[in-house]
Amino acid sequence: MISEKRQRSYFARIFDDVKVQWTARFGFTWIVIIATIAVFAPFLANSHPLLLSEVGQLSSPALQHLTPGDVTLLLIFFSVVVLSFIRIAFTKKLWCVVSIGIGGFLANDILIEPPQLVIYEQYREAITDNRYDWTVMAPIPYSPKDYLRDYGDTGLESPLKDEERTHFFGTDENGADVLSRMIYASRVALGIGLVATGISLIIGVIIGGLMGYFSGVVDMLGMRLVEVFEAIPVLFLLLTFVAFFGRDLYIMMIIIGLTGWTGYARFVRAEFLRLREQEFVQSAIACGLPLRSILFRHMLPNGMAPVLVTVSFSVASAILAEATLSFLGLGPVDEPSWGQMLNQAVQAATFNWWMAIFPGGAIFLTMFTYMLIGEAMRDAFDPYLKKGAR
Amino acid sequence: MSLLLQVNDLSTHLQSGGTIVKAVDRVTFSINKGETFCLVGESGSGKSITALSVIQLLPKDISSHPGGNIIFDYRHDDATCEQVNMLDLEEDKKQRIRGSRIAMIFQEPMTSLNPVFTIGDQIIEALQLHEPELSYEAARAKAIDALKQVQIPEAEARLDEYPHRLSGGQRQRVMIAMAMACEPDLLIADEPTTALDVTVQAEILRLMKELQQRKGTSILFITHDFGVVSQMAHRLAVMRLGKIVESGDVLDVMRNPQHEYTQQLLAALPENLVRAHAKTDWHLEKSKEQAPPLIDLKNVEVHFPIKKGIFRHTVDYVKAVDSVDLNIPKGQILALVGESGCGKSTLGRAILRLTDPTAGEVYFEGREITNLSRAEMQPLRCELQVIFQDPMSSLNPRLTIVDTLIEPMKVHGIGGSKEERIELARQIMERVQLDPDYIWRYPHEFSGGQRQRIGIARALVLKPKFIVCDEVTSALDVSVQAEILQMLLELRQEHDLTLLFITHNIGVVEYVSDEMAVMHAGKIVERGPTADICSNPQQQYTQNLLAAVPRLIL
Repeated sequence: MISEKRQRSYFARIFDDVKVQWTARFGFTWIVIIATIAVFAPFLANSHPLLLSEVGQLSSPALQHLTPGDVTLLLIFFSVVVLSFIRIAFTKKLWCVVSIGIGGFLANDILIEPPQLVIYEQYREAITDNRYDWTVMAPIPYSPKDYLRDYGDTGLESPLKDEERTHFFGTDENGADVLSRMIYASRVALGIGLVATGISLIIGVIIGGLMGYFSGVVDMLGMRLVEVFEAIPVLFLLLTFVAFFGRDLYIMMIIIGLTGWTGYARFVRAEFLRLREQEFVQSAIACGLPLRSILFRHMLPNGMAPVLVTVSFSVASAILAEATLSFLGLGPVDEPSWGQMLNQAVQAATFNWWMAIFPGGAIFLTMFTYMLIGEAMRDAFDPYLKKGAR
Repeated sequence: MSLLLQVNDLSTHLQSGGTIVKAVDRVTFSINKGETFCLVGESGSGKSITALSVIQLLPKDISSHPGGNIIFDYRHDDATCEQVNMLDLEEDKKQRIRGSRIAMIFQEPMTSLNPVFTIGDQIIEALQLHEPELSYEAARAKAIDALKQVQIPEAEARLDEYPHRLSGGQRQRVMIAMAMACEPDLLIADEPTTALDVTVQAEILRLMKELQQRKGTSILFITHDFGVVSQMAHRLAVMRLGKIVESGDVLDVMRNPQHEYTQQLLAALPENLVRAHAKTDWHLEKSKEQAPPLIDLKNVEVHFPIKKGIFRHTVDYVKAVDSVDLNIPKGQILALVGESGCGKSTLGRAILRLTDPTAGEVYFEGREITNLSRAEMQPLRCELQVIFQDPMSSLNPRLTIVDTLIEPMKVHGIGGSKEERIELARQIMERVQLDPDYIWRYPHEFSGGQRQRIGIARALVLKPKFIVCDEVTSALDVSVQAEILQMLLELRQEHDLTLLFITHNIGVVEYVSDEMAVMHAGKIVERGPTADICSNPQQQYTQNLLAAVPRLIL
């Protein structure tokens, strides 16, 4: 009975305001599509058959070849779907998803051991030899790292050029299917945006909050730290790290995260300085509430609005940073990435339009939709803009 | 006397979202030449929208006038007059009327002047726009003259200063000078003195009256303050929900209000509220016998350092509170009166240790609390509470009312379980005359008066002995103010509360307080029983302050 009487909370109302804007709807739709594709990539593009019957015996090579990362993504996806139907507080849901994600990844890392040696050709050979009774293949029957050696030279074929094989988006210079690689690359794009932004958000909110609440010496030292970090040229730092420690995606995420928090810290500091003088914070102090409650219950939710807007913009810029690095040829070597495909498009002797348009379009759309969501959120948070928009 | 402005059956509709708000609903009034016409009403009654409709300043895309007309007697430059309807005039003609024939001054002097231009530039621009043949030198001379007329000292030098160098009262004078520079026939003043202190307000009102007498300007004066109305107006109209409910000659309406709403408004004025005097005296007697006082301040100082230079060394102090001695006997309501910036709010915060005093001692029930640590202060937080001025910012917008109310109870161990605490919160909501089921709502769903009740409820949940009421009614309409004040008096009786009532409104002081202390520039100037001070102030400052209060002349 009590929960029925509950009114819509502030963030729920903001979300309602965001949802009514068609730009934001378009943005959310695109991101949900990309996220779903990223999660179900092994079932969308895979050289391993999803299901096959060999002499009456059923087996699923695709499932056997799932990596711990694949399983964790699926786990997170389904827990999000389940939790969205359960009525509990949003923060609780967030904690559930985070703990399932981390716990699941650690468990899967120990439990799941995909075969070390992957031979993509064996299924195609077996099918031509009629060794299987029947097979169910993925919609795109090519893994991102399946270079189709059994077909000979398949490099840089334009879309649908070959009658024997269907490559909707053509093949890259190594002979792998571009669409398949793009599907897997969406993981990198989404992951780097979320992880890098998450890291900088956490650091920025904590440091900014402490600066704003305590002000004085803490504020002075904090601001100097912010200035030190703002002086770091991120791209050159990334290049240096890649040169020394190799091309590791995780290192890239962490570096982008560790250098990007200064903006958040400034925002949160300014908000906290303003909020500290607000009367509801003063009366919370007068009621003798503990510092933790004043900081995180009374001040932080009221100071998050400008931060959330910047989040979506900085997710976009993190994606762009990774694409830039990959384009420069400093991204992960074998892992598919949109930026790396763009690099291939311009490196070959002829201009291969399909290598430029599809990954380029994907980068553009993803950045664009994050920008749209950011704009929509800014409008929803700002009562003055909202009046004009209606 | 001839008519200058006739507003007939005017309706103004505003679109907000998908809904249409009838902000002004079939309003009819007229203004004669050289007269002051007051529009009075509570917030949201449509008085400002009426004024903006007259001068045609409402944004076209969200406002519409489905009916009525505004007939203005437009005096051409060659002194011929023409009756024009402001509603269907071409834009360039409207623009010529605005500023030169109808001028407007706004409430907030801090934001109505452009901070990047000198005040001279702004006056001269307005002058040259309406009289293009005027040379710069002539316009400048005229601007200096205009500033002299509004009694700004050293007008020649002041002309080249930027707005931030002027005080609020001076800015409002500049605004008036700017509005009057082109010698308009009608001056619209939208709450021009609401943001100002009473002494400044008195000067501005006197100035406006003088200018009107000299130039014969008509004034459409918008206000919520009946004291100001009775000082200024010849005739008045009372607005409510977009309609004029009553209009007529000032003295007639004030002495003998016909409409129920006008009667209610006048009855809600603090001057007209009936106070249970017998009980007050009993309280006063009781408090005199009892010693020691509940709150005792000894030499309290709050100084804020002014830092300068590269090394941020302290060059001087802002003495917000300067060696204040004050005691508040148990059960008393002490009013702390003063103009803005006199340090009264800082003193209130210093008692609660929301701001730490830089020197001196605060005793609560005989115990020194200035040097207590955060943990030692914790149990006392129950006893000392505060209610703030602004009902918009005094509640956390992200928490439901129930969360706001039960969190302090939980911290201080009041109520055994969550259910018990919710029940207590419901009882307190009922006590402040709100529906107990409202506790599940968020603050934005309440009106200003309801929020202020919730603010009181939050202070009461901890069962305090002493509450600092910091301008609790300043942001409220008079009728709501009356309810809140009555409720505070009742609660004082029920819970044996001691209140420090910080306010600038003398009417409220007279109604609510037993004793009053007048504060000026961080010091207590005068202190004594309210009735004594109000009838016979001893200090020069108190005398000035009381003389400046706009009283109802009946």
